[in-house]
Amino acid sequence: MTVLTLVVAGIANGSLYALVALGLVLIYKTQGIVNFAHGEILMVGAFVGYTAFALIGLPYPIAFLLAILIGGVLGALIERFALRRVATQSHTTLAMVTVGLSVLLKGAARLPFGSDVYTFPPVFGSAGPISIGPALVAPQNVLTTLVAIALTLLLLPFFRLTTLGKQMRATQQNMMGARIVGINVGRIFSLTWSVAAAMGAAAGILAGPISLLYPDMGTTFLLKGFAAAVLGGFESVPGAVVGGFFVGIIEMLFGGYISTAFQEVSAYFIIILVLFLRPHGLFGRAPVKRV
Amino acid sequence: MTIDNMPRLRAGFAPVLCALLLFVPAMTNGYTQYVVNLVLIYVIAGIGLNLLLGYAGQFAFASAALMGIGAYTTAVLAARFGVSFWLCLPLSGIAAAIIGSIVALPAMRMSRVYLALVTFAFAELIVWVLLNWKQVTYGSDGVNVAAPYFFAWRIKGDKSVFYVLLVCTVVMYWLAHRVVNSRIGRAFVALGDNELVAQCNGINIVRFKILVFALSAFYAGIAGSLYALTIGFVVPQSFGLFQLIIQFSIVALGGLMSLYGAVLGAILLTTLPELLRDLQSVQELIYGLVLVAVVVFMPQGIAGALKKIGVLPREVLAHGWRTLETRNRRE
Repeated sequence: MTVLTLVVAGIANGSLYALVALGLVLIYKTQGIVNFAHGEILMVGAFVGYTAFALIGLPYPIAFLLAILIGGVLGALIERFALRRVATQSHTTLAMVTVGLSVLLKGAARLPFGSDVYTFPPVFGSAGPISIGPALVAPQNVLTTLVAIALTLLLLPFFRLTTLGKQMRATQQNMMGARIVGINVGRIFSLTWSVAAAMGAAAGILAGPISLLYPDMGTTFLLKGFAAAVLGGFESVPGAVVGGFFVGIIEMLFGGYISTAFQEVSAYFIIILVLFLRPHGLFGRAPVKRV
Repeated sequence: MTIDNMPRLRAGFAPVLCALLLFVPAMTNGYTQYVVNLVLIYVIAGIGLNLLLGYAGQFAFASAALMGIGAYTTAVLAARFGVSFWLCLPLSGIAAAIIGSIVALPAMRMSRVYLALVTFAFAELIVWVLLNWKQVTYGSDGVNVAAPYFFAWRIKGDKSVFYVLLVCTVVMYWLAHRVVNSRIGRAFVALGDNELVAQCNGINIVRFKILVFALSAFYAGIAGSLYALTIGFVVPQSFGLFQLIIQFSIVALGGLMSLYGAVLGAILLTTLPELLRDLQSVQELIYGLVLVAVVVFMPQGIAGALKKIGVLPREVLAHGWRTLETRNRRE
């Protein structure tokens, strides 16, 4: 294992964490909700992909689109029917709703799939690793990284250029102001959840071949996503992406050079360390206190 | 009946209730007694978390791990060093309180979401340490806790354990009641409402934050120690994410800023999984549904809803739900 191979594998995992972190950041920015159900949305995406690709036998790109679509619909449903009613309640109440949803989704996934562990069949058949310079890369990792980067690159101009994206940013900045200038804030909330959940589901189907599939699979990804989002300051979209890659690479280096037992908790160390040194994340700014 | 003799009526109610509870073991079989015992443990844990999360508004996620520290302090001290359980119990509370006040340090400079994440990460680290520090904790093999003696009486079986739990729960409830209705309790609420205003009113934020974290951790530690006594066996996995979800649900469903809420939440969330035991396959699904439904339709928790329709009296000091409502409006 060369450093470079570890780093490249870290980038592939990191791009998954970046996708998860992006979803978390979007929801937090818009509604101030820490979404504890995001790991389960990822799990749903993974299982939708598994059902479509491995059980029904649809081509991979269609399975991928299906996972994103169902993830997006799920996100919008969650926002419309669970969170809209309590939108003005305290953070604790909102977080509690997502915790409940997380338990609910896991329970729903256990109905058809039980507590067994499934393996996602390799997308590229038995294709061997590709060598890029001195580093060896699995084709799945190339796909994951490329898709994650493509989705992020799609999202940034969407926020900058389209009317809908601008409305979303306006709502994030000032909900009351957005409402006054005629933005349908409720619709923006639903859309935000939908986009965030679609990204989570995309991360799920991409994670399938790397990780194992089981109803509790979301927790680890949620934690890594949190770590990435914290590094990025929890309110910054580019920050979340950079944070994701950072967590992925550090984790791989920890696993390769220190111990694999330590690899599991490296994300927690990152969270604690970063927040002790910079209480508002690497890219976050301290809020100005007004009296 | 006039409003004036309401408090006296209520004051008479508590001893009667406690006396009635003494007869619970006569009415239960082994299994229901075990569930009742769990309820009492979760009442203590719930009150502790409610002090921190409800009253002081500190969004911290370490309570399950602190309960684990309490349980392991008791288990390790009793099993390895033969320390008497009656000494282990307070020591567990103190050990958890010391670690809890360390958790208070990040709360000094971080805002809500970051505090939540740091404490969450810290809690996962503690579980990891319990799993991997095998020389002391035996890792995932767990530690057996022997039944202790109270003078010549061996406290074995759920019915005997119940009396220990009952005494502890009543004492801890009474303590929390006194704290909440004192200057300290008001300082906690002020802290949760608005730190700046609290500071302007001469409340030492640093001191009270450490105090509320330590106090809440003390409750978690005692609950953990009693958990070790009740189950007789501790493993690190008991104090992970699922434990955290249970404790949070107890507080949020029962009602933030309400001691009754902790009791109601503990009763509901401990008995619900047991009632659903026959429906194993849909147990988790229904549990999640209930969780979401209660929070969405009763955002002030069950205690809040009961207070609104006048079934439960308002808890005096904080005017519980009223303060919460102003808190929410501001956000």
